[in-house]
Amino acid sequence: MSRMLQVAGGAVVAISVLAGVRLLSFTPYTAERDIGAVVRLAWRARGEQVRDCRRRSPEEMAQLPLHMRQEEVCEGRLLPYRLVVALDGDSLVDRLVHGAGAREDRPLYVFQDLIVEPGVHRISVRFTLEAPSAQHDSDHDGGDEARPAPQQRLALDTTITLGVRRVLLVTYDEERVRLVVRGG
Amino acid sequence: MRRLAYFQRLLRRLLAGADAATNRLYGWRYNPLYHSGALVVALFAVLLVTGIYLLFLYRIGAPYASIVRITDQVWVGRWMRGVHRYGSDAAVVAVAFHVLRMFVQGRSWGPRTLAWVSGLILLFVTFLCGWTGFVMVWDVQGQVLAQAGARLLDVVPIFSEPISRAFTGERALPGAFFFLNLFAHVALPIGLGILLWVHVSRVARPALLPPRRLMWGVIGLLLALAVVWPVTNTPPADLFTLPGPAPYDVFYAFWLPAARALGPKGAWALGLALSAVALAVPWWTRPSLSRRPPASGVDERLCTGCEQCYLDCPYEAIAMIDRDPAEVADGRSAVMARVDPARCVSCGICSGSCAPMGVGPEGRTGRAQLSTVRAFTVERRPSGRDVVIVACERGAGGIAAGTEVEGALVYPVSCGGNLHTSVIEYLLRAGAGGVLVVSCPPRDCCNREGPKWLEQRLYHEREAELHDRVDRRRVRLVYAAEAERWAVRAALQAFRATIAALDAAAAETDIVLENQCEVSTISAEVRR
Repeated sequence: MSRMLQVAGGAVVAISVLAGVRLLSFTPYTAERDIGAVVRLAWRARGEQVRDCRRRSPEEMAQLPLHMRQEEVCEGRLLPYRLVVALDGDSLVDRLVHGAGAREDRPLYVFQDLIVEPGVHRISVRFTLEAPSAQHDSDHDGGDEARPAPQQRLALDTTITLGVRRVLLVTYDEERVRLVVRGG
Repeated sequence: MRRLAYFQRLLRRLLAGADAATNRLYGWRYNPLYHSGALVVALFAVLLVTGIYLLFLYRIGAPYASIVRITDQVWVGRWMRGVHRYGSDAAVVAVAFHVLRMFVQGRSWGPRTLAWVSGLILLFVTFLCGWTGFVMVWDVQGQVLAQAGARLLDVVPIFSEPISRAFTGERALPGAFFFLNLFAHVALPIGLGILLWVHVSRVARPALLPPRRLMWGVIGLLLALAVVWPVTNTPPADLFTLPGPAPYDVFYAFWLPAARALGPKGAWALGLALSAVALAVPWWTRPSLSRRPPASGVDERLCTGCEQCYLDCPYEAIAMIDRDPAEVADGRSAVMARVDPARCVSCGICSGSCAPMGVGPEGRTGRAQLSTVRAFTVERRPSGRDVVIVACERGAGGIAAGTEVEGALVYPVSCGGNLHTSVIEYLLRAGAGGVLVVSCPPRDCCNREGPKWLEQRLYHEREAELHDRVDRRRVRLVYAAEAERWAVRAALQAFRATIAALDAAAAETDIVLENQCEVSTISAEVRR
């Protein structure tokens, strides 16, 4: 192979590789294809906590070291809430939302994307305590977290307008203590 | 298993073709395919330098705006960003070729398992580092990568709150998010440095940088690309708009379509399955116990303690240990070589480096090689005008599989570095007109340093050198890769012309070289 041909071939290969790198570095792609618009449900709530408590017997207490002799032992969990969403009268979501974590003692999180057609819609959202229970010691561990009050239901009934490929967020407004709509 | 071997052979053939074509264009010294691993390190250095510049101009409070400002700096900022981006892309390409070469050459099992596994972890951390880099820009691609990554993390049951909720638009993304992301983008390269150290920890004299001309050539090309075809700004992230068509970096965002199609759990399953397959390569590709080459051994009676095998071993598998004082009192050397089988890859380079032929894998020690060559000359009887080609079984145009090339006898060796120089002397004294040694190009050696040491033994009097009594006109060393049979033919033709001008060689009988291969004194400096 002549030197000239070698240099030319080397240059062509190098330029081709660079062009390949550039093209692959900027490859057109649409991440959320075929989706008109989205209603996003996203909020966090402390919910209602129930605690199963029992008193330790004197025998049990005696077996424990002095510094661990708590008379009452409690295990807590959050009661589930039911989430119901309807769009233009059609039910889109109807499910229970449990407390997060393996013991269901962490706050309730709602996070769901609903794919809908762009345009004007009537949306209805209900977030209600599913199983209020009188036999449990009820404690709603307030802190500074805004939350739905025990047995209170959060509700939203409104008309929304969704632009093409827009996201409308339904979330919980801590100050107004109710579900609100943002974006769209 | 048979399918894997077939797949490995197929890929090896493809890579061999690419190697040969690239050798023609750039020569073996500057063939980027041979330096893929070192190129990754060089590109890593480029990313560090350009990254430091970008770091000074990046603002956590306004990530997208600061990137736009950098890109709008026509003279420096745009180029720096371009070289940073294209450099990271080129690093993935180089890694791909490096992994491919190690896989097809079977350099992934036994003592090389650590390098293989650490290499895969390096690759994963590189992708992670790239992921944080793209999120830093906070354009459409950054948003999609962040959201897709969060969806994957949400499947892992260790977070009490879904990570994805950070990207709902419920609240403004906190500066802490971009700070953490920036911190990870800066900290991960430190992890890469540590992993790189582990990656090369089992090799002696790791080649961390490519030849200068190649390195600066690649950097220059990346800079040229950044100037001619600069990185452009894409639309900013908007959590209230579904990401539309946008340019994505395939090298780092290749997994997005799969993650979208399979969902987070499916993507995890696929990712874990592929990782398991990649991690299992060392176990899948290792030969069966009966076919596994033996580790080197040392004949303590012959070891003179010269340390040459210890110096030449590319895998630091040989240590010099103190000899029994009683043996030292008998006049033996104070130290002797000891091979660590856990580190020995059975390359046999120590056989070639041991003048008294006291070390090497069973069947490939200097003495075993002399027995083999003796049988070869008895059987093939080379004449005074004949050229014997000593060919590496892994390269050398693939001629080692045959017995002759254009009338020249072929004598195969497992590696050029394995060849003991006394074999060459024996062939000539047995009547061969010339010996053409065909080795792999130095950076293509499966055993790392075989051709390098061979060349030094033939021409630079490295210990276990070819003796002065051998007529150098009758010996020639050439390099040819696996698919470069044409190069072997051309070298043979040229060498034959040289041999033809010489007198026909006369054959000796009863050649005994074992006792003539004595170790010369190694300078005190080398010993130290």
